[in-house]
Amino acid sequence: MPFLYRRARLFRMQGRMTDNDATPAISVRSLTKTYGRLVAVKNLSLEVRRGETVGFLGLNGAGKTTTIRILLDLLRPSSGRCFILGYDCQTEGLEARSHVGYLPGEMGLYGDLTGFELLDLMAGLGRRRVESHYRNELKRRLELEDRDLRRKLREYSTGMKRKLGIIQAFQHDPPLLMLDEPTEGLDPLMQESFYELLANLKRRGRTVFMSSHVLSEVERVCDRIALLRDGELVLLATVEEVRELAPRRVRVSFYEDVIPDEALPQAIEFIEKSPRAWTLEARGQLGSLIHALGRLPVADLIIEEPKLEDVLKSYYRKGD
Amino acid sequence: MKSALILLGHSIKRVRALVLAMGLLLAGFQILIVLVGSEIQTSGSFNQFANLVPPFVRQMFGQMLDVFLSFKGIVALGYFHLAIMGGLIGLVIALATVPSSEIETGFMDLLLSRPLARYWIITRALALVVVTIIFMLAMIMLGTWTGLMIFGPADAEWPTIGLILSLALNLGILLLCWGGVALAVASVARRRGAAGAIAGMLALTTFLLDYIGRAWEPAETVAWISPFRYYSPLDLVRGAYIPGHHVFVLLGIALTGIVVAYIAFSRRDI
Repeated sequence: MPFLYRRARLFRMQGRMTDNDATPAISVRSLTKTYGRLVAVKNLSLEVRRGETVGFLGLNGAGKTTTIRILLDLLRPSSGRCFILGYDCQTEGLEARSHVGYLPGEMGLYGDLTGFELLDLMAGLGRRRVESHYRNELKRRLELEDRDLRRKLREYSTGMKRKLGIIQAFQHDPPLLMLDEPTEGLDPLMQESFYELLANLKRRGRTVFMSSHVLSEVERVCDRIALLRDGELVLLATVEEVRELAPRRVRVSFYEDVIPDEALPQAIEFIEKSPRAWTLEARGQLGSLIHALGRLPVADLIIEEPKLEDVLKSYYRKGD
Repeated sequence: MKSALILLGHSIKRVRALVLAMGLLLAGFQILIVLVGSEIQTSGSFNQFANLVPPFVRQMFGQMLDVFLSFKGIVALGYFHLAIMGGLIGLVIALATVPSSEIETGFMDLLLSRPLARYWIITRALALVVVTIIFMLAMIMLGTWTGLMIFGPADAEWPTIGLILSLALNLGILLLCWGGVALAVASVARRRGAAGAIAGMLALTTFLLDYIGRAWEPAETVAWISPFRYYSPLDLVRGAYIPGHHVFVLLGIALTGIVVAYIAFSRRDI
């Protein structure tokens, strides 16, 4: 009977993993977590599609780590439910977590373990086989040598611990990676290697859900952004959509003196103006501005790239 | 199950040096205590000691004193000497509070991010406690046997194998009791220091309560709540059996602690 039960369970699990690729990698429904009067996460609903890289942003204490820890069943929600690849994170936590690689924000390690011992322990606790060639590939990309991995963790620098954390999260090649501040403590070259690693995962259809404070990083590697403020989701959009919300600086210089034109579109704001040079801030489409400038003696026109950072910072500040 | 064994192996590996060192220390202490007993026996000093004991002390301890002032009694002392008991209870508490240590360091986040059920964390700590208790008792008995083989005087009454096994079993049950208590405390604590301190303070308080209860009648009325009240090695040395209800009480406390630990740990936020 236990054998039959296991077979039935296996079929059920396989069915859930393969029959419906539309099942989101992560689904959070009306999730709330309170600690007494403090509301850490407030009625959060969110879906991460398979193969996406989603940046989970917010100031310190916004509820990012709490959400990730609920998804891993380290914390129990006050209300609401969440799912990983269709598995309920609380009632089917083992199945859910067997498909996840997790990099915590702060790695709690025992100094008397070696790097290899930690990697082997984490590999042994999983259900997915760790392929040695893939682990070696990770070691090579992150420049962590075998001799480093034979050393005790107490001798590791912050950066080395981070690299080890990345390897332990990636080594079983899970379909979903949850990364909490993944590049914290990595030097710029290692950050570059890490981004390449993420790009590689993306090509292979893996899903990445990562929290970060580094907005340039998010802009570079993420498809979508979810932004939390005081436990509430205040923005969920693609990077492109967010970029469109960003104001763009337009610098115009003239070959003869110009009086500021009253007829400029309303969405344009003057930052600086002199008879021969204007600095403007434009939102949305630029067609009407170009049209208005066409009537003036323009010598040069520089349109700066919209900065995602500006939009995100404005979302952060709205709570002030 | 495979994951749990891997985790247990990892935990044993981490504490093996401490456990091994303590085991060797206890075995050495047993050999030493046999040597001391043997020398007292050979010099005929047990009778001299007995003659020096004041009458009121003799009255207080009764037959127990005669048991103590013998080679057999001295050898048996190694199984319930205060330092031995304290050391072993401390070790058991340290091992049972491993889960709170892993929460404190953040290592638990890594462990439980893998497909590992929470009950394995408690099972692992319990297995660690049980394996260590068995190892420690085995080392103590090995020390006793080695000491007797090398230094045991031919003209003295040696403790029987039955007595040694009973003393070891009785000590093991007491240690399991405190292991259960410490496990329950650790299952709700966030810091190992706090868990260890609470369990340690409980052990010390209840020991003193029992100690005072034995000498001062008013304290006797509350001394029954102390687990040490149900630990009676002297009765064994005297040749009596351990009362069955004593064993049940100690095992009951251990079992209650273990059940509380499983339930509390499965429900808590990590």
